Amino acid sequence: MAMRETLTRLRYRFVPDHILGEILAKSWIDNAIPVAILILTLCVLGSMIPGLVAVGSLLGMSAQFGELLLVVMAMTIVMLAGGIDLSVGSVFALANFVTLALFNMLGWPILVVIPVAILCGALVGLVNGILIGYLRLRAFLTTLVTLIIVRSIVDMFILEYAVKVARPTTLSRIWDFISFKRVLGMPVALIVCLAIAILAHLTLTRLRPGWHIMAVGGSRRSAFNAGLPVRRTIAMTYVLSGMLAALAGVFYASRLNAAGSDTGVGLEVLALTAAVVGGNSLGGGRGSVFKAVLGAIIILILSNSLLRLSLPTGGTSAVLGFVLIAAVAIDVKWVKHRDKLQTSVYVSPTFLALGKAPETAEGSASPYALNNLLKDVELIGLGEIDGPEDPILDAAGNLYCGTRHGDIIRFFAPDFTSKEVFVHTGGHPLGLAFDRDGNLLACVAGMGLYRIGPDKKITRLSDQTNRSWLSVIDDSRMRLADDLDIAPDGRIFFSEATIRFDMSDWMVDALEARGNGRIICYDPSTGSTRTIMDKLRFPNGITMARDGESFFFAETWGCCVSRYWFAGARTGQREVVIPDLPGYPDNINRASDGGYWLAMVGMRTPIFDMALQNPGFRKRMVERVAPDEWLFPNMNYGCVIKFDENGRITDCLWDSRGTNHPMITSMREHEGWLYLGGVSNNRIGRYRIPGGDPTWTAHASYRGEAR
Amino acid sequence: MIAPIRNFIDRIRGNGRHAITTPPMDGVLQPNTLIEDAPLLAPISRPDNLVRRGEEMLFSSGNQLMRINGTTPEPVEAFPHAVNALAASTGNALAIALMDGSVIVRGGKHDGFSLDQRQAASLTCITALCFSGEDRLHICQGSHRNPLSEWKRDLMERNAAGSVWTLDLSQKSLTKIASDLAFPYGILADDKDSLVVSESWQSRLISIDPSGNVRPVLEDLPGYPARLAPQSSGRGAWLSVFAPRSQLIEFVLREDKFRADMMRSIPSDLWMAPSLTAPHSFLEPLQGGGLKQLGVMKPWAPTRSFGLIISLDENFAPVASWHSRADGTRHGITSVADRGEELVAGSLGGDALVSLRHSGGLPA
Repeated sequence: MAMRETLTRLRYRFVPDHILGEILAKSWIDNAIPVAILILTLCVLGSMIPGLVAVGSLLGMSAQFGELLLVVMAMTIVMLAGGIDLSVGSVFALANFVTLALFNMLGWPILVVIPVAILCGALVGLVNGILIGYLRLRAFLTTLVTLIIVRSIVDMFILEYAVKVARPTTLSRIWDFISFKRVLGMPVALIVCLAIAILAHLTLTRLRPGWHIMAVGGSRRSAFNAGLPVRRTIAMTYVLSGMLAALAGVFYASRLNAAGSDTGVGLEVLALTAAVVGGNSLGGGRGSVFKAVLGAIIILILSNSLLRLSLPTGGTSAVLGFVLIAAVAIDVKWVKHRDKLQTSVYVSPTFLALGKAPETAEGSASPYALNNLLKDVELIGLGEIDGPEDPILDAAGNLYCGTRHGDIIRFFAPDFTSKEVFVHTGGHPLGLAFDRDGNLLACVAGMGLYRIGPDKKITRLSDQTNRSWLSVIDDSRMRLADDLDIAPDGRIFFSEATIRFDMSDWMVDALEARGNGRIICYDPSTGSTRTIMDKLRFPNGITMARDGESFFFAETWGCCVSRYWFAGARTGQREVVIPDLPGYPDNINRASDGGYWLAMVGMRTPIFDMALQNPGFRKRMVERVAPDEWLFPNMNYGCVIKFDENGRITDCLWDSRGTNHPMITSMREHEGWLYLGGVSNNRIGRYRIPGGDPTWTAHASYRGEAR
Repeated sequence: MIAPIRNFIDRIRGNGRHAITTPPMDGVLQPNTLIEDAPLLAPISRPDNLVRRGEEMLFSSGNQLMRINGTTPEPVEAFPHAVNALAASTGNALAIALMDGSVIVRGGKHDGFSLDQRQAASLTCITALCFSGEDRLHICQGSHRNPLSEWKRDLMERNAAGSVWTLDLSQKSLTKIASDLAFPYGILADDKDSLVVSESWQSRLISIDPSGNVRPVLEDLPGYPARLAPQSSGRGAWLSVFAPRSQLIEFVLREDKFRADMMRSIPSDLWMAPSLTAPHSFLEPLQGGGLKQLGVMKPWAPTRSFGLIISLDENFAPVASWHSRADGTRHGITSVADRGEELVAGSLGGDALVSLRHSGGLPA
């Protein structure tokens, strides 16, 4: 039994299950399948055909590759905007013919010939673009028609002039350079093509026209609603496609100097297959130039290998057809299931054995014994606020709290019946503290650390920290800044509860029980932000100890309170002060008697403690059971406890029925009252502390005027 | 050959026998708050086994046999053991089954009958009784592995160890007519001499003919059915459903190691298992949807307990239902008795007798 537990513990310590979900969440994961296909292709065909992967063989294909890549990019750009261009092969043939006719037959200068050929392509693209973009014809049928028409025009001309166009009458050094020269071992076609690829990549990812194409392909209606020129964008993609296909035709002309009726036949299928195999979605909006490059490489290797294997007539086309249908099937399934797969594998529970929970029974001798002292709290703002968190009072006695709507609400002293929106932050403010100058510092979930002046001016202090080397998730951005406190030297220490979940899913982190959180220090003197502790189990409340050299912090899922020294002789040391709490600790704040208040957000249940030692059970539960039905700690009850410097529990306040305060996430003492907040409650409670010092305020305590 | 492969695939995909889906509460079973809003007849500790003998309404509470007159409950008789089940005959006989397996008859043709010890020894978990005429008494035994008070364990062990017996009062003979049932918890004799039994852990009603053939009558109930009672109109029946099925419990029922650990190390009222009572301790399990938001528990929250009474027509098809939902307290209703226009329901988990109005089996 103990053996099995040790094995489970080791298994979950050393196997990083959570990484799979994080990788699947990355946007580059879409490239994984094409890369895998490329490797597979190389392995299979490389073993069937000797010398396929040799350098010479690859170089031999490079000019051909440049042409193919241009056509694949043409197809990709149209596909990204949600369309399809079947006329690329015909345009290719047209440009080839036009180039040869103008140059060889009519003797035009090559610097005029090339732009004219590209212009021809652009014109065919424009026809497509107007019909599809502005007149809203079906892309498939329209380009099929242009495919046939352009092809028949080219065929008519070839019938007439095939011999004449192939006989060069003029010489041009530029043309020879394009045709035969190699720069850095690469043909000119390939270099031009790669330059265009880089340009296209930058346009699609960094420039406005590229974003428009992606937006229109992603959701045509949303793009239209956002005010994008949808019709023009679509039309432009066909023009671009025509130009790229035409350029490919020019290079083909330079390479082979021949116009036959089979030029560019079947090229559209090849390009389409390459684009889809590369991972560009047929539905539009998902794809990249890099995917087009990958797809082009795969298809080029495949088609050349098939030629060398000398399959019987039609065999090559049949194989390409199968590849296309397989790629389309994978694309459809991947797009459909990617998110589902990611959600099902993202939550990755790990092993956690908590110590035995202390007794809480009513009437027991335990310091945590159940009572109902919070039964008769005075209520503030009942039903007017959603999720009041970390109530705090200023020097004038006004009460502030963050809400789920992203506001910081101010209730006016002395009776707290009137209120105003102090500021709107945009995220749920979870931790509040006043500095010496009366500025309100706030940890805002999803945003970071902010300072709000008495004049309501909001300043961002920090929203990113140093990125850790081995984290797959980009953990430099702050995801769930939670609670903060200010050291005597002005440094701000704050907790980030988890780097793996957003505010709306914070409870799901309980199912993982992994150390996903960290404590971060912001130094206003240098403006720097550094992570000082990581791998903490949902670090939550932070409060300065009275020695001015250390702070207490609570780890919610770890059910413990620890102390960390940031200055003095014990700098950098960490010590657990309260190891096994009966519940899940949240915020910590100073009390007037020299102790510290600690809110319990929920209570431990034997069944959940047991589930924590069964990561497999939780994993299967997350996969099988609907999220609303998941087993969680019991967060419908909470309490407030008080502990002293040594971690001894000196007081315990319960709302035993959970009537007013089912989940207590924060509390603050001020002039003899204790103010209670709850992150999913709709009221602030106010409890008269028996024997509480009616003059004590937290500010005074921090300024050293009181203890 | 196919079956193990199918079973293996189902286990991975969560299909077939491994599916944890629960039947929807829709149509006739659409939730309402009729039980929660109904007037309280009397607060009683753990009321169970409501039966009507003539004009008299009897029920049990622990080891007490009680009677309710109008709205005042009064004790009738106390027994040495908890009363497990009651049944009344048309001839005013009352059969009483106790926890130790003894069956006693008061009044009627066989007044003073008592099952002898040797026979009673095999009946360790009597859950329901019903008369056929005056001479025959049908007995449901929930499980031969666990007593009635340990029903939760019996479910979690996934037992099908229940049986149905017929006791001939005149010949004092006891015959088993069906076995290997998954906790039979309610019984009703219909006109054609066959018995309708609620098989709790299968969430269904079955019909058992005199030769012992079992045929499902009503399947896929959204909860665990308890006792059946005749409607006063003479047609149709009342079915009390004592706890809901839930996805998470269905899931736990398929996690053998977890369940075994749970049964070994945790007290049964804190198990992730159905419950008769609404939650009252923070040590009980909580599911995500059951979290109080803005101080309110949502009625549709996932729950381990509820109150549900279903009105069935003469073919045992549901026609109407009465509910107490997740945010209520009148949970764990195990028995009802019909007195004309009024249906008295006993909430075993909510310590209450409530009075529901109906006309011909439909809410009035």
